[in-house]
Amino acid sequence: MMDAGRHPRIKVLVSSEVIDVSGAVGNFHVKVRRRARYVQQDLCNSCAECTKVCPVIIPDEYQMGLASRKAIYIPFPQAVPSAYLINPEDCLGNNPIACGKCLEVCEQKCIDFDMRDEILEVDVGAMIVATGMEAYDPTEITEYGYSRYDNVITSMEFERLICAGGPSAGHFVRPSDGERPRRIGFIQCVGSRSSRYGSPYCSNICCMNTVKDTLLLADHYPDTDAKVFYMDIRAFGKGFEDLYLRSRSSGVRYIRGIPGEIEEDPQTKNLRVRVENTLAGELEQHELDMVVLSVGVRPRLDSNTVQRLLTLSRTSDGFFLEAHPKLKPVDAPTRGIFLAGCCESPKDVKDSVTQAGAAASHVQVLLSAGRIRIDAGTPLLEEADCIRCGRCAAVCPFHAIHWQRGGVPEIIEAACSGCGCCAAECPVDALTMRHSTDEQLKAQIDAILDEHPEDKLLTFACNWCSYAGGDTAGTARLQFPVHGRLVRTMCSARVSEDLILYAFEKGAPLVLVSGCHFADCHYINANRQTVTRVERAWDRLEKLGIRPERLHLEWISAAEGQKFAEVMRVLDEPRAQVTAEEIAHTRKVLAEERKRREGRKEKMRAAARKKREAAADARAESSAGAAASVAGPAKS
Amino acid sequence: MENNFPRTGVFICDCGLNIAGTVDTAAVTEYAQSLPGVVCVVHNKYTCADPGQNEIRKAIGEHKLERVVVASCTPRMHELTFRACVAQAGLNPYLMEMANLREHCSWVHAGDPAGATQKAKDLVRSAVARAHELQPQIEPEVDVTQAALVIGGGIAGIQAALDIADGGMQVYLVEKEPSIGGLMAQLDKTYPTMDCSI
Amino acid sequence: MEEERRFRCLRCGLEFTAVHRKDGEPVERVCPRCRSNSIRPTKEAKG
Repeated sequence: MMDAGRHPRIKVLVSSEVIDVSGAVGNFHVKVRRRARYVQQDLCNSCAECTKVCPVIIPDEYQMGLASRKAIYIPFPQAVPSAYLINPEDCLGNNPIACGKCLEVCEQKCIDFDMRDEILEVDVGAMIVATGMEAYDPTEITEYGYSRYDNVITSMEFERLICAGGPSAGHFVRPSDGERPRRIGFIQCVGSRSSRYGSPYCSNICCMNTVKDTLLLADHYPDTDAKVFYMDIRAFGKGFEDLYLRSRSSGVRYIRGIPGEIEEDPQTKNLRVRVENTLAGELEQHELDMVVLSVGVRPRLDSNTVQRLLTLSRTSDGFFLEAHPKLKPVDAPTRGIFLAGCCESPKDVKDSVTQAGAAASHVQVLLSAGRIRIDAGTPLLEEADCIRCGRCAAVCPFHAIHWQRGGVPEIIEAACSGCGCCAAECPVDALTMRHSTDEQLKAQIDAILDEHPEDKLLTFACNWCSYAGGDTAGTARLQFPVHGRLVRTMCSARVSEDLILYAFEKGAPLVLVSGCHFADCHYINANRQTVTRVERAWDRLEKLGIRPERLHLEWISAAEGQKFAEVMRVLDEPRAQVTAEEIAHTRKVLAEERKRREGRKEKMRAAARKKREAAADARAESSAGAAASVAGPAKS
Repeated sequence: MENNFPRTGVFICDCGLNIAGTVDTAAVTEYAQSLPGVVCVVHNKYTCADPGQNEIRKAIGEHKLERVVVASCTPRMHELTFRACVAQAGLNPYLMEMANLREHCSWVHAGDPAGATQKAKDLVRSAVARAHELQPQIEPEVDVTQAALVIGGGIAGIQAALDIADGGMQVYLVEKEPSIGGLMAQLDKTYPTMDCSI
Repeated sequence: MEEERRFRCLRCGLEFTAVHRKDGEPVERVCPRCRSNSIRPTKEAKG
């Protein structure tokens, strides 16, 4: 911590949050909001005089509410940066009538009530997400009486109570009477591995944390009678089994069984725990002075913001999704972004440090390359065909197309991410995605539907989510009917109405357009255009006497292998119901429709061309006239 | 007529039994030979391994291949591998196309080998058709800003920031709370060393 | 700006009313019965 605080190349921005991210790998532009701390960080010498006079007393978050702090405070003694701050929500304010006592006593004159939040902008080549996790709050498990019974505490509160810098100065006491508890029970898997409370997954760290806690007790207070109620003890890491055996041999009793209920004696505040000892096969009852709930770990509730800003995805457990569970465990699916620590999955200090090192080395690989190649996925404009309508610029989520009324759109390649939304929007096919052309996509559709089209469920799938969801289904070996045929595009917004109609024209009984969930779209919000296009196609199909029910839309994330498989399963029935007559009718109707559409496009191009020519002629004439009028007087 | 198609090589991967356990890869190989423009089909146990990649590079030279189709696993896994492979043999990397016979076929249709084989043929056919339409591309190069952002100042964020900064790069460490340290700073002792967390 | 709109699920055929917000973030439409995202706004929009 201290090392990071004083490192010449690390700028620590505390009380800060990322509020905007733009750019791409190699060149991200990030906006950070730093909240005002009302104490000048560099001047404050942590003398603590301000805290002594501050009249506001509130629960101390660092001490898990087991102690109190003031409105002006330092988060904890070793805090980095080592400076005080004022929480504006707690402070009475500097109106002399209200308060302002701290201002008077501060010798450094570093308290500044006029400080404002700052927006800082930084340019970086890569990012690491290390937003951590939250401990499970066991209040909802009413059977355990947490927050009702004083002496039922969580493992986080235990840490503070046993700590020399804790609220009891290292004297391990129980909250109800300040007496030292001699009979302590630990309940494992609280909020973990449960379908009822908390999460279904194993939180990884709680077994060893409890083993550690029992050893601390055995060390500090050898006469303590500690009992651990558990399902299994998962001591899989290096040296973990040794610690577990040491804990057992120090006299800690491990009882296999999770208590159903805790009762409190209202007089003594002692606790009674009933448990089925599944090894002995007996119902047991234990009298205890204190119960520690070994709480699990869950994703941070506020990780939505980071997820949205960095277009990350999450696995079904809520933790951030890695690019590959085995081969790319620290890469986020978006290039240039890496994951470290518990935001990816619950892990202990050692594993967090390991993963952080791996993420850091990935960042260094990228930065030390100095220059990197990026995908050639930008659009090309055929200027002669362009009708200067500006629709491409209007739908570009990256503002990578500049357009002024009547002008040719200008493509800013560096800002383009290659979603293809513009190409699908162009009403006259003047834009072509270099590596995702209409010809390429149509060639795939032709090849797929050339033989037995009635057997094929033609599916457009975006690279990042739905195609990856199909991969996830594969990795999980989920089984579904063989009829799906995927055509991969970078974004579902690349799929134009024309392409959808083309697939039907070539005999597809059913067409599925699939993309990322709204929050996951890798191109900010390009997939909102997908909705518009599918809705347009529904209307068009209906007008042409083709059942709109044959066109489907599904959002499938990279983690949703289950949903991918289910969609493939469910859509197989409506696919099979489309008759040969229906397909033949569709082919005929849409072949005619295509001719009409092509004709319309050509007309639009020609009209625009004519208009441009007329305008050019007018300009030529007027400039010739102007030249003549300029030349005229000179001659005379 | 057929001479108008780009000269295409198709490389079919067994992936051990991952693909070949369900899909009749020999039948797919035979089928691929009948596709327009295809002048060479190679059937491998592991196309991504060195011998498999060597076969691709060799065939590009021997058959003067203008397009390469690799029918193996998901492009999300090995597209970059095979792009690099064909580039080494002098082919523009964007002239390589993949067919996903593993994640999207053999693994999800284990109970229907005949259907999976038919689908595999379709996927190869579709990839070859797309490959014919591919155009060489030049990847734009960009300079990398020599700085990194770390979001979160817990143990992972601190460690990552230190590693990058010690390597000589500028780091911005953004923490929501008024101090770095995260949850770890609240722990008294940590296992397995049983020492202080701060 | 909230208004009620009629939608039809093209997977299971369910017709339902949902609140449509003109301003603010657009939301994903999901069929309350079959969870499909193939939700088509019906032409005769209410309100």
